[in-house]
Amino acid sequence: MLKINGLTKSYGIFTAVDGLDLNVPKGEIYGFVGPNGAGKTTTMKIICGLLPADKGQVSVAGIDVIKDVRKAKELIGYMPDFFGVYDNLKVTEYLDFYASIYNLNPRDRKRICDDLLELVDLQDKRDAYVDSLSRGMKQRLCLARSLVHNPELLVLDEPASGMDPRARVEMKEILRTLKDLGKTIMISSHILPELAELCTSIGIIDRGKIVISGTVDEIMQQVYSKRFIKVRIRGNMEEAVKVMKESPLITNINKGDNFIEAGFEGNEEEMAMLLKELVTRDIPVISFGQMDGNLEDVFMKVTKGDEA
Amino acid sequence: MMKINPVLQKEMKIRMRGWRSAGMIGIYLVFMALTASFIMIMSRESYYRVTFDPELALGSYTGLAIMQFVLISFISPALTTGAISGEREKQTLDLLLCTRMTPLSIVTGKLFASISQIILLIIASLPIFSIVFLFGGISIKELLELFGFFIIIAITYGSIGIFYSSYFKRTTAANVLAYGTIAFLCFGTIFLTIFYIGIVYNYDYRGFFPLLYINPIIGFSFMLWEQFSGGSINLFPGLFMGTGISTYNISPWIVNLVFNIVLSILLIFLSANKINPLRIRRRTLFSSSKKSLNNIQYKKTKR
Ligand SMILES: Nc1ncnc2c1ncn2[C@@H]1O[C@H](COP(=O)(O)OP(=O)(O)OP(=O)(O)O)[C@@H](O)[C@H]1O
Ligand SMILES: [Mg+2]
Repeated sequence: MLKINGLTKSYGIFTAVDGLDLNVPKGEIYGFVGPNGAGKTTTMKIICGLLPADKGQVSVAGIDVIKDVRKAKELIGYMPDFFGVYDNLKVTEYLDFYASIYNLNPRDRKRICDDLLELVDLQDKRDAYVDSLSRGMKQRLCLARSLVHNPELLVLDEPASGMDPRARVEMKEILRTLKDLGKTIMISSHILPELAELCTSIGIIDRGKIVISGTVDEIMQQVYSKRFIKVRIRGNMEEAVKVMKESPLITNINKGDNFIEAGFEGNEEEMAMLLKELVTRDIPVISFGQMDGNLEDVFMKVTKGDEA
Repeated sequence: MMKINPVLQKEMKIRMRGWRSAGMIGIYLVFMALTASFIMIMSRESYYRVTFDPELALGSYTGLAIMQFVLISFISPALTTGAISGEREKQTLDLLLCTRMTPLSIVTGKLFASISQIILLIIASLPIFSIVFLFGGISIKELLELFGFFIIIAITYGSIGIFYSSYFKRTTAANVLAYGTIAFLCFGTIFLTIFYIGIVYNYDYRGFFPLLYINPIIGFSFMLWEQFSGGSINLFPGLFMGTGISTYNISPWIVNLVFNIVLSILLIFLSANKINPLRIRRRTLFSSSKKSLNNIQYKKTKR
């Protein structure tokens, strides 16, 4: 559905998107995750024809976005990260305005607007002025707006920012409904766990490059191809560290108050050997186990902060 | 089937709502009515005269026409200077640009919304304007010429407003520059003409100085002047006003209209190009030096 090849975009001398590749098959919900300034908004704007690309190809349902923007725009629904609404327009008029841009007759328009208001649960606000809505409502309305022309691909730039937890859950429900309707969705966020249960696949972007992508499980596996172990002990810290350092399988030891964390490049048998070694060397081990990585860790590991 | 521009439709809906539009029409009519009553008072002594009084006919017509010209000059740029920058300030421009609407239709939709408002003002003032028929001597053709001139002026000033609105982020900046440009066209050209003629010809210049063709006030005056075939005078060096004189083959007001139309079209296209996110940017002469800068930056950012 959405294919991006070698996309590059610079602002002056700063390269915001740097040879980015990604591929979102039809019917997927693709989570586009990255820290501030990673280039998410820039990428999404290029997809929607709102920014020129310096290099690379973007195609939506086989249509080249860079060559045939107008046609592509009919296939894409875009919700920006920051947006405003017109004052002096009512909710229904607002939707009807955007619907009127596409060649629809007034009766179809009315039906579509009603359906969309129902989808985003704003029926009881239909006659309210758009600037009187709360921020979360405006976001839902903007989502409805991006759907007026029944696009195949939805590009949502942080649609849940500023929403309360309940609204987030509702937003996810709406997106699942849209997925069931056969839409392909690309959704950006800073927060990986937030997207993990919703998305069918995820790409993590950092400094304009996709650092890792795949399904949530695949990403966990890739990042944790190396095991992490955590050993809790009662005293005799120095000796314990010494024992562990002797093992060639141990990498980057991290010493805590009463525990040691370390990477371990071995199988389970070798892990058992390590435990045995610790015990025979009189280290008072309380617990010894493999750590489960969480998504937050994954995010921190694969993206580097500015000071990294 | 012709489809109404959606932006035009929505703009009209928004603009007609609330008190602003009604207030504007009200104030407009007050100014027109004041002008009309002023003319009536001036003409009271001759009011019962049955015979046609050409001076009064001229007075009422030109009085109202000038008032309307001044009002339209003030109002029409103000109606468009917020057209694009306002969308940017409200963060709604991207929402328009990501639809299938072309930048050109967005710009023209905005422009015609404001022209419609001006036309509404002109129509609203028709009852007051009809007092010119009281004194006779005015034909429908002349009225149509006049209103046509007003509409072209509204389009021109509106395009100037839209142009600055799309090139500048802030509506305030667009306002200042739009009125500045209009002031230049109306007055700056006159000063430049006199200045130039003073230096080059030592004020000894008979005829019509070409720079004045772009001056809307002079175009407008010429139209009124010709409608009343008022003979010929030399107002100041470079501004020779007269009818049927060989110094110009085509009436200056026609030239001015053509200039205004061409200018408007140019500004509309420039504005549309400016808001087009994928516009073709001219590769500058500096592109090579930019590249070397890029390398320097690369070294710096590499951590
Ligand atoms: N108009 C612009 N001019 C110059 N630099 C820009 C512009 N827009 C974005 N950038 C830079 O490009 C980089 C990527 O920005 P972008 O908005 O795509 O990030 P993002 O991933 O959406 O971040 P966030 O999570 O904060 O929304 C940033 O470093 C930003 O400073
Ligand atoms: Mg962003």
